[in-house]
Amino acid sequence: MATSPASFLDPVLLGRISDLALLARAVVDGFMHGQHRSLRRGSSLDFAEHRSYQPGDDLRRIDWRVFGRTERFYVKEYDADTNVSVIFGLDSSASMDFGSGKITKFDYGRFLVASLAWLSQHQGDRVGLATFDGDLVDVVPPSTRHLQLLLHTLSRSKAVGKGKLSTAADKLTHLTARAGIVVLVTDCYEPPETLARVATNFRMRGHDVIIFHLVDAAERDFPFKDATTFEDSETGTKIPLRPDDLRGKYKELIGAHYEALSKKLTGAGADYVRVETDKPLDYALHAYLDRRLARSRVR
Amino acid sequence: MGLGLLVPAFLAGLAAIVVPIILHLRHRDKDRPQKFPSLMFLELLPIRTSERRRITDWPLLLLRALALALLALAFARPVFTRSAAVEKSARSRAVVLMLDRSMSMGAEGIWAAALDSARITIAKLDANDRVALVLFDDEAEVAQAFTRDHAGTLAILAKAKPGPRGTHFASALRAARQLINRAGDAKSEVVMVTDLQKGGVGGVAGLDLPAGLSLHTVDVGSRDHANTAVLSAEVHRSAEGQRTLLTVKARVVSRELKAPRKLHVMLTLNGRPSGTQEVTVPVAGDVPVSFAPVLLPAGQVRGAISLDHDRLVADDSFHFAFTADDAARIVLVAPDDAAGDETLFFEHALAVSRAPIMRVDRVRVGGLDARTLEKTALVLFWDTAPPTGTGAKVLEDWVQHGGGVVVVAGKRLSSGARSSTLLPATASGNVDRLSDRGGSIGDVRLDHPLFAVFRDAAASLNSARFLQYPRLAAAPGADVLARFDDGLPAVIERRAGSGHVVLVDLPLDSRNGDFPLQPAFLPFLQRLVLYTSGRDATTLWRTTGTNWLLPSGLREPAVSTPDGSIVRPPRDTVGSTVALREAGVYALYEGRVQGEPIALLAVNAPANESDLSQIDSKELLLGVRPSAAAADEALDAPTREEVESRQRLWRLLLVVVAVLLVVETFVANRGWRGTANRLAGAPSDRSDT
Repeated sequence: MATSPASFLDPVLLGRISDLALLARAVVDGFMHGQHRSLRRGSSLDFAEHRSYQPGDDLRRIDWRVFGRTERFYVKEYDADTNVSVIFGLDSSASMDFGSGKITKFDYGRFLVASLAWLSQHQGDRVGLATFDGDLVDVVPPSTRHLQLLLHTLSRSKAVGKGKLSTAADKLTHLTARAGIVVLVTDCYEPPETLARVATNFRMRGHDVIIFHLVDAAERDFPFKDATTFEDSETGTKIPLRPDDLRGKYKELIGAHYEALSKKLTGAGADYVRVETDKPLDYALHAYLDRRLARSRVR
Repeated sequence: MGLGLLVPAFLAGLAAIVVPIILHLRHRDKDRPQKFPSLMFLELLPIRTSERRRITDWPLLLLRALALALLALAFARPVFTRSAAVEKSARSRAVVLMLDRSMSMGAEGIWAAALDSARITIAKLDANDRVALVLFDDEAEVAQAFTRDHAGTLAILAKAKPGPRGTHFASALRAARQLINRAGDAKSEVVMVTDLQKGGVGGVAGLDLPAGLSLHTVDVGSRDHANTAVLSAEVHRSAEGQRTLLTVKARVVSRELKAPRKLHVMLTLNGRPSGTQEVTVPVAGDVPVSFAPVLLPAGQVRGAISLDHDRLVADDSFHFAFTADDAARIVLVAPDDAAGDETLFFEHALAVSRAPIMRVDRVRVGGLDARTLEKTALVLFWDTAPPTGTGAKVLEDWVQHGGGVVVVAGKRLSSGARSSTLLPATASGNVDRLSDRGGSIGDVRLDHPLFAVFRDAAASLNSARFLQYPRLAAAPGADVLARFDDGLPAVIERRAGSGHVVLVDLPLDSRNGDFPLQPAFLPFLQRLVLYTSGRDATTLWRTTGTNWLLPSGLREPAVSTPDGSIVRPPRDTVGSTVALREAGVYALYEGRVQGEPIALLAVNAPANESDLSQIDSKELLLGVRPSAAAADEALDAPTREEVESRQRLWRLLLVVVAVLLVVETFVANRGWRGTANRLAGAPSDRSDT
């Protein structure tokens, strides 16, 4: 049985592909397979609408056929793409190296960034990458020719160290002077207020901000049973707990955290997308594309 | 069948169950904590530590506790005992438990089996039954008189261990007989736990035990009697220039080996390795081993010869001790007209002596003075009378203080030219026995130390023929130790102070008899010199079970034993004696135990103790005449196989413990506690995906 292109959006299947370039291509191809219209035809040729000629408009843009029918000057308007810089920020702190399923949050994040970068590149965008924990770790400046470098950097990055998004984000804002899109892929173990402040900083510099919040099922449901000592992946702190007794309260706290993130980040003008790592990638890709299209439609 | 315990003290191990309980109460997964991305929210939760003090894993705790309990039970050696209803008789029993602790019981595996058999015997007793414990080797020790305190007897039993002594069943049976005579009307039984060594049967035949006594043996000996041991050692001194070399020879004996075996034989002198030889011992027999000559150490010398260890380790080392300067100086005073060959046999006979070495110095009659006598063990007047006048006074003083004088009578002496107060007899002419083919020794006092060596071979003295000898008449106060067959004194002794004067009328040359050609000549001369000079023969070693008669003249003798203890023997009429119970080297000191010892004495186990061959138990008891009921009881006595089968339970328990531990491992690592299933339906090993 042939493998359906859409099945490549399954993170478990993707986990078997070691080549990130191949993975990203497979994801994008599989994702685009189900779209009604291809964006690759060149959005710059798409007709948008007519409007009345205004002094100063280029005479070459007057639609002479309409003038012949109506004897009025109308100018044709098209949807024209704009090349933007897309900076992907991938959280590489140790907390990302967790996964109750077959892949970790970090792997999922790498797949997601690779796929988005591939997609962006083929739309003519400049793509760049910054991995960070408490500071920037690997940086690939945005460029139309940096896709392979980005994928290579992604493939060798590891999730270690103690994460602090606010510090890293400040440095990330200086990475590109041109306004573009900042895509943050993180597990959001920061106070919502901090993340909102980071998003605001990016917005003030003219960036569009998309925050992909990666959530593992175990973080969400806390399914542990026996009395166990829990160890913080980043700090090494250990706490002996009886999960059965604490599950309800934990879920209340994490639920409130999710809600606060959504509220604060949306309020800061960022797009907050919570992605569960046991779900296919298309949800995240759709969210990205929606945001990308909204930005690119320039007339 | 009931269930008893051989070593109930191990039940104390049940207390170890507390350990897993404490561990379960304090359980924390320190080894494998659950990694979690962030404790940001978990830290906000209230942690009720008091609730953690409870056991959450009862099956695992029970598994561990059960394994520990069974382990303790296995070490307590459970044993099936016969039903009390069957065993119980109308009257209580009095059981004498005799445990062989001779050296052969120290062979590999034997002692443990013996203790088990003894414990089983005690475990089978009813509460009202009395038990006595006799530990025996070449002598018997009543370690516990009749008592109903079975636990106390077990405790004494636990302290017993095999020693370097021989085996003598008769001593043990006599001790048992004495105990049983005091047992009253109880039904008496004697249980002898032994390896039935054949060498220990002496004296059993004819032993009479009380009627109605039930006597049986528990054979714990091995069917493998193969053994090698050092049988003896001898030392030879030889002069090489200014140095004296020492050559040590040993005999290594092997018994019932399956094939000839190569052995390393090592010599140690004063604690230093002094030679190694490799020998091949036959299946059965003995081989001589001669070590390369080494420089003779000064002073007292401790030696040991050791073999590669076998099943019986105790006899693989052999001790000996001697004094480097061991020569006995003999001053031979011969008349000027004595021919050179007249004293040939005498001098050569003394020259072959090795322990001690006897050195003969010839002096003229007039050359005997105090300086000459100072380092002299014995003065021998060859057919001449001791000096008179000033010389006599010096000699008498010397004898009064322990010196020894031997006068060999001959024609010159019988002529009566000179007389001395030292002489214990007077001579009056010669007796000519040529006509009746020579006289012989008729009456000998074999109880005297001089002739004690001939106690078992008195006929060897009678074979010598004497053609001419002086006719002597013993002086008042002198003892006649031997007489010729015509009744005339042949050997006369007189004590003077601490010394001895012995007059020998036996011709010691070959002209007037054939005594020098007889086998008794050498031992007689050696004993004559040693006894008269006040020295005993130097022995390289003695056997355990004998006594060491310490030299007289010591005010505060102190003896250091091989196990390091100090013995200060009291004096009695005989003198001070020390019982030789340990194998090794005893050292004699005066006053404080320090510095160079006065004398050393090496002690080894009896040679026949190395022979592990067994005697049939029925054959052993043939002469003991047990009661008619004894035969039936003997049939009921547990055989070695039965003893094994009754206590086989501990092996089963250990197997169960092993299975429990495997299950425990599975439960602890793969069960619901396993990391793999801590997350429902998800693996925990995340970093490698």
